[in-house]
Amino acid sequence: MKKLLFGVVDAIKAKSIQFIITTSFTLVTVLVVLFVGVMLYSKFSETAEQNAYLNTQQILEQVKYNLDSYLNGTTQIFELVDDKIRRSQGVSSEKLNEQLEAIVETRKDIVSIAVFSRKGELLMGTPAKPMRKNSKLTEQSWFQSAIDDPNNLSFSLPHIQNLFKGEYTWVVSMSRGITIKGAEEDIPAVLLVDVNFKEIDDLCQRVGLGKKGYVYIIDLVGNIVYHPQQQLIFVGLKNENRSLPLKYSYGSYVDDAEGDKRLITIKTVDQLGWKIIGVSYMDEIVTTKNEISRFIFWLLIFVIVIVLFVLSYISAKISRPIKMLERSMERVEQGDFTVNEPIRGSQEVEQLSLRFQLMMEKVRELMNQIILEQEAKRKSELEVLQAQIHPHFLYNTLNSVVRMVGIGKNEDVITTITSLSKLFRISLSRGKSIITVQEELEHVRHYLIIQKMRYKQKFEYEIEAQDEVLTCKTLKLLLQPIVENAIYHGIEHMADPGFIRISASMCEGKVLFQVRDNGLGMSPHVREQVLEGSYKSEGGSGVGIHNVHERIRLSFGEGYGLNIESELEVGTVVKVWIPCQHDEGQEG
Amino acid sequence: MGTINQYALYTLLVMVAVTTFYSCESRMDEPHPDKKKTVALIVRMKHGDYWRTVKLGAEMAAKEYDLNLNFYAPDYEEDSQSQMELVRQATLDGYDALVVAPSDDRVLQEAIGLTKSRVPIITLDAEGQLPEVNSYIGTDNYDMGKKACEKMIQLIGKKGHIALVGTGRSSANAMSREKGVRDVIAQDKQVELVPVDYVQLDKKLIGELTRELIRHNPGVKGIIALDASTSIGVAEEVEKMGLQSSIKIVAIDSPPEVLEYLQEGGISATIIQKPFSMGYLGVKYALDASEGKQVPGRVDTGTKVIDRENMFWSENQKLLFPFVK
Repeated sequence: MKKLLFGVVDAIKAKSIQFIITTSFTLVTVLVVLFVGVMLYSKFSETAEQNAYLNTQQILEQVKYNLDSYLNGTTQIFELVDDKIRRSQGVSSEKLNEQLEAIVETRKDIVSIAVFSRKGELLMGTPAKPMRKNSKLTEQSWFQSAIDDPNNLSFSLPHIQNLFKGEYTWVVSMSRGITIKGAEEDIPAVLLVDVNFKEIDDLCQRVGLGKKGYVYIIDLVGNIVYHPQQQLIFVGLKNENRSLPLKYSYGSYVDDAEGDKRLITIKTVDQLGWKIIGVSYMDEIVTTKNEISRFIFWLLIFVIVIVLFVLSYISAKISRPIKMLERSMERVEQGDFTVNEPIRGSQEVEQLSLRFQLMMEKVRELMNQIILEQEAKRKSELEVLQAQIHPHFLYNTLNSVVRMVGIGKNEDVITTITSLSKLFRISLSRGKSIITVQEELEHVRHYLIIQKMRYKQKFEYEIEAQDEVLTCKTLKLLLQPIVENAIYHGIEHMADPGFIRISASMCEGKVLFQVRDNGLGMSPHVREQVLEGSYKSEGGSGVGIHNVHERIRLSFGEGYGLNIESELEVGTVVKVWIPCQHDEGQEG
Repeated sequence: MGTINQYALYTLLVMVAVTTFYSCESRMDEPHPDKKKTVALIVRMKHGDYWRTVKLGAEMAAKEYDLNLNFYAPDYEEDSQSQMELVRQATLDGYDALVVAPSDDRVLQEAIGLTKSRVPIITLDAEGQLPEVNSYIGTDNYDMGKKACEKMIQLIGKKGHIALVGTGRSSANAMSREKGVRDVIAQDKQVELVPVDYVQLDKKLIGELTRELIRHNPGVKGIIALDASTSIGVAEEVEKMGLQSSIKIVAIDSPPEVLEYLQEGGISATIIQKPFSMGYLGVKYALDASEGKQVPGRVDTGTKVIDRENMFWSENQKLLFPFVK
């Protein structure tokens, strides 16, 4: 866990694979979730709104149905009462009274049944209760409508029944003009059936549209039949905009006149033209939306956390082997070539690790080879140096000097000793193994001077060089073994005077030394052995031409080295190829 | 193989986390018991249309603003002892705002003492401001007295003696109403006020007082009752004495008996208050105050003069007969 955390912190610091994987994947995931979330949200909220609309419609439909059937029921009662009165002989008959009383008894919602004359006198009433004073019944709307339109049943608005003594009750009055049989002729009268408003009130009160929503009813001209907040409207604390619902008989619209956005749905009761109006508050519908958006928000947070968690784990898993590989390479960079453990991880990384290991093996091999070569070089250089102080050569030279002193050739002694001294100076040349061509030629010249003294002018020599090669770099002591070879094997046993010609020149961009003698020459067989180093000569320093060949190839590569052309009894030409390298001015 | 197992483990962990997340979410969504505010409403009496209408208004507001309403009321009016008991009970039950119609100052003091300083208190129906009370919602009783007196003067033909009867001498409401009456009479030279009388809230005592008053002041043309109970008592006694035609009565409030007398002629007019508005506004402002909103210090819910002529007008019916029975 801790490692994971550190991994994440590390990853953020640098633009690591882990960081890239984590961020890009998180980004993609978040975008996808966001997209899906927004799509779902819009779909859900649309559905939620649609459902709210439908729901309200259905509830109102239900209310309308209930109201319709209730009003139908009361209408039937009214017709029944009307029928009974029509059939009976006058309103004062005992039988009619009993029948009507029975109706009032069974129907709890019938408050009273009464028949009034056109002047407002009570002709008959059930239940029989004394009339109140000051009821102004002829001015009441139900009475007026029965007089104005005697053939149609009219429903009044809910009002307080103040006709009879007893409790004041909220009623809806049904009235119609009738004719009753009088003593002589039929008398026009008004039949009133008061229905308790409680039934309708209950019916509407039970309807809830959400927590705050409600249903109210208005009549044809906009008077409130039922409103749960009627009190508030009467005292002026609330206002209900009734003008719009009045215009429509069904449908729904959104009203935001009261500050809150409210969905108003309208249905009309066919029988009376009453309008049932459902009011639901949009913020309650929107609650669903808010819930969804809140859910999506938390889901997003949750997804981000989980994705970050999982991705940092996965990316750590992916990047760890790469880091390990990097660490291995770092160790190699710092010089530790022993790195050898295989790294486990993805296929690519494993392949990379394998290749790296193979590469390291190669490097190790090459390094071993270089070490071997360096050793060989050193050995051969040492051999050359040893050859310089070869006791045989020194002994012979000093012998010659003694002899020259004996015969009094002081000039020659001076020359020889001087050359010897120069020879050694150049050989040592302060421990450097690389010298200029000029110095090399100088060296071989002194060598030839000494040898010429020793061999009593048995041969002549000539050294020539192009100017441009003089400053080139060359390995030390390249020519001496060749010249030595030429003297010992080519000229020493020759009867005629010998001649050695040494030249240095540029040829095809390389430096070419040529040592030519007119000695005995050698057979091809010997020539090969000389180059391979397997030829064992008796005299000489023992270093041999092979050593020279070997040193050049170790220092400069396979493209350089020696090349011998020889013909028996005619002479030998040894060509020495080295690359043309100029001094960079580091010669101290 | 180890890696695959680890991945499987991780997948499992994630799935467990998702399930936990979901179950938490759904559990969080079910009930929100702490979200709704609670308003305690303490009135003076359990019964009576007046207080039932207050309660109706309060319930309307509670439904509209989606809050819990705790309703407390003693069995009898002016029972300050049990009302104090109810204040304590309400405090135990807990509330975010208190709406109280105190029987007397002791109840109000008790309520202020028990209520934590940040919880707003709103008084209904009882005048008498204390700085701890956020708002008074109710009738302007002085104005009510004035209206009653003006109506009476109109009824008696601007001339004659008027008597004033009330229960509860100590009540601030009654004093304000009396002052309103007196101020109107003071402007009118032709109308005189016979001595004002107060009795205990007792039907028999009110009847006796009325009888005495009429006997001692035979010329009295009108009686203004200062509260609902007095109105009923006075009307009953005047009817018993058969003087309903000669003595006009102006009543206060609209209990069914008063309405009955009003229609039948025993009472000429009544000045009604708006208890529904009191209940509604009381709870509304209580909620506002508990949410730290500014509420008006005094809200006059208004009064209305009702006589035989207008009592069945449709806009008055709902005020006079608030219940659908």
